[in-house]
Amino acid sequence: MLHVKDLTASIGGTPILKGLDLDIGEGEVHAIMGPNGSGKSTFAHTLAGRDGYEVGGTVTLDGVDLLEMTPEQRAAAGVFIGFQYPVEIPGVNNMYFLRTALNSVRRARGETEIGARDFLAVAYEAMDLVEMKRDFLNRSVNAGFSGGEKKRNEILQMAVMQPRLAVLDETDSGLDIDALRVVASGVNALRGPDRSMIVITHYQRLLEYIKPDFVHVLVDGRIVESGDHTLALRLEDEGYADFVNHGLDDVPGRPLSGAPR
Amino acid sequence: MTTAATAALASELSPEAQLERIAAIGYPTKRDEAWRYAPHATLHQLSFGPSGAVDTDVLSEIDDQIPALDGPRIVVVNGVVDEARSDVTALPEGVDLSTPGHRVGGVADRLAVHPDSAVELAADAFVADAFVALNVAFGGDGVGIHVAPGRHLDAPIHIVMVSTSAGTHNTSCSKLAIQIDAGSSVTIVETKLGAGTEFSGGNTRTTISMGDNATLDHIVVQDVPSNQVHLSRTEVTQGAGSELRARLFNLGATYSRLQYDVHLAGEGARADLSGLYFGRGDQTLDQQINVIHAAENCTSRQAFRGVLDDESTGVFNGAIEVRPGANGTDAEQSNDNLLLSNRAEANTQPRLEILADDVACKHGATVGQLDDEAMYYLRTRGIAADEARRLLINGFADQAVHDVGIEALRTWIAQRLGHDDE
Repeated sequence: MLHVKDLTASIGGTPILKGLDLDIGEGEVHAIMGPNGSGKSTFAHTLAGRDGYEVGGTVTLDGVDLLEMTPEQRAAAGVFIGFQYPVEIPGVNNMYFLRTALNSVRRARGETEIGARDFLAVAYEAMDLVEMKRDFLNRSVNAGFSGGEKKRNEILQMAVMQPRLAVLDETDSGLDIDALRVVASGVNALRGPDRSMIVITHYQRLLEYIKPDFVHVLVDGRIVESGDHTLALRLEDEGYADFVNHGLDDVPGRPLSGAPR
Repeated sequence: MTTAATAALASELSPEAQLERIAAIGYPTKRDEAWRYAPHATLHQLSFGPSGAVDTDVLSEIDDQIPALDGPRIVVVNGVVDEARSDVTALPEGVDLSTPGHRVGGVADRLAVHPDSAVELAADAFVADAFVALNVAFGGDGVGIHVAPGRHLDAPIHIVMVSTSAGTHNTSCSKLAIQIDAGSSVTIVETKLGAGTEFSGGNTRTTISMGDNATLDHIVVQDVPSNQVHLSRTEVTQGAGSELRARLFNLGATYSRLQYDVHLAGEGARADLSGLYFGRGDQTLDQQINVIHAAENCTSRQAFRGVLDDESTGVFNGAIEVRPGANGTDAEQSNDNLLLSNRAEANTQPRLEILADDVACKHGATVGQLDDEAMYYLRTRGIAADEARRLLINGFADQAVHDVGIEALRTWIAQRLGHDDE
C-alpha cells in the first residue's frame, strides 16, 4: 500500500535522506531503527508533509502520489503521524480540536460530518483505549500535559482518525514503563488488516511491546539492513557501530533495502 | 459634604470652569507618554458640546448589537438615558439607580447622592487631562449605581453606552458613577456601541468606589463602528479586602483608548485585570492601565493579550506603582501580542515604580507570530491551513475570554471575533 522509492530530502542544501526505498504491505507493521541523526524523524515528516525540505523520489499511498500534497491532504488520504514532541496549543480545546480534525478529513473525503453526540461516543471509545480520563477532553491540546499524557493523546488522535498509514515517531521517548505499556497496547489495538504502521524508534524496548513484522536499519539517510524482529534484538546487543563505522558502499553483501518478501 | 462645599464643587465642575481649565492645560500631545501612539490629527477633528437630539432611525441599528443579558439594562445615548431601550424592572432590592424613576437633577444632586465618588471626581477634576475635563463639562447627569451594604446580586447590571454624531458637534460624553458598599458583590457589564456612518466619537468616564470587602466583576466591551473614536476612562478606588475582577475587550473604533486606573487604597485589596484587544484594518487599540498600591498586602494582576492583523496597532502601557509603606505588595503584569501581518505593530511598555520594601513584582511582555510548528501539527490532523490559523488565533484570544462568567457575553464576544474572520 505504501511505496517509497529513491526518496531524498535535504534542508538548506544538506542532504539527510539519500535514496530511501521501502515497501509496506496491507496491515504490516515496520519498525525503523537507527542511530541519532540517521534521518528517522526526517523520514516521518517527509511522509507527513512538513515544509522546509527539498524532496525527491516518489512516495505513493494506495497508488496516490503523496509528495505533491499538503499535510492536510495527506491526512485525508489516510496518513497519520504521531509526533515525537507533540505541540502544545493553549486555548484550543482538545475535544473541539479532535472533532474539527475528524470532520475535516471526512469533508475532504466527501463524507458527512459527525455530530457532537456521535463524536463523543467515538472519543470515549478512543479514550478508553489509552486509559484517559473524561476531563481530558476539556483541556487545551497538550498544554501542560506530562510526557506520557502527550504521547497518549497522540494515540488517542490516531484512534479517532483511523488512518490507513500510521507513522509513529519515537513514540516511546520520554515514557516510563507504565506509560509505555498503555501507549503500546493502544497501538496494538489499532493494528488491523486495513492499517499499516511505521514505528520509528531508537531503542529495541518499544518493540518488546509492539512486535513488528519487519525491522529496518536506517543509517545516514538509507536503509542499510532489513529483517524480522530478531534484527532488533541483534541491534540491542551489538548497537549501531557495525553500520556506522564503515562506508556503506563497502559493505559486502549489503542486503537490498525494503521489506523482504 | 456641606451644602456650601457641594455648591462650590458644582461650580468647579461646571462647563465654563472646565473649558477654562482646558485653555490652561491644553490637549495631550505626542510628547505625553500616555498619548504617544494616539492619532492626534484624528483627535483634533473631535468636537464637543452638550447633549443634543439624536436621529432615532440611526439609533435603531444598535438594537441588534446589544448583548442580551439577564438583569437590569440601562441604555445611555450620548450621555442621556434612553428610557425606551432600558429595562430596570428587574432591579434587585438594595440597588439605587439615578435613572428615570429615580433621577437626579444635575451635578450637585448627583454629588449629594453619591458623596464618595464625588470626592474622587472633585479630586480628579484638578489633575485630569483635557478629555476628562470635556467629559465633566458635557457628560450631563450620567448614570449612578449605588449598591447598599451586604447585597449579593446574581444577575449583572448592564450599562450600554451609545455614541452617535448629533447636532453641532460629533462627539458625546457619558458619565457613570458606581458605588458598591461594604461586603456587597455585583457584576457590572459596560458595553460601548455606536451608531451612524459619519465620523464621530465617544468620551466615557466611569468612577467606581468599592467599600471594604466588596466584590465587583467589571466587564467592559468596546465595539463601536470603525468611523468612531472611543475614549474611555475608568477610575476605581478599592477599600480593604475588596476584590475587583476587570475584563476589558477592546474591539471596535478607528482609535479606541481604554484607560483603567485602580487605586488599591485599603489593606488586602485585590485587583485582577485582564483584557483582549483585536485589531484589523488601520485600527489603533490603546490600553492605558495604572494600578496604584497604596496600602499593605494588596495583590494586583494585569494580563492583557493583543491580536493585531493588517496595519493595526496595539498599545499596552501598563503601570504598577507601589507607594511608600505599601509593604507586602504582590503585583504581576503580562502582555502578549500575536501579530498576524508584517505591517501590524505592537507597542508594549511596562512601567514599574516601586517605593516600598517587601514587594514582589513581576512583569513580562511578548510579541510573536503564529507558531509554525502548531500550524503544521494541526494540518497533519487534516485541518486546512485557514481553519488551523483561525483555531490558533481563537485559542490565543480565548485565554482572555474563557473566564468571563456570563455565557451570553462569552458567546457574543466569540461571535464578534468569529464574524470578522469571514
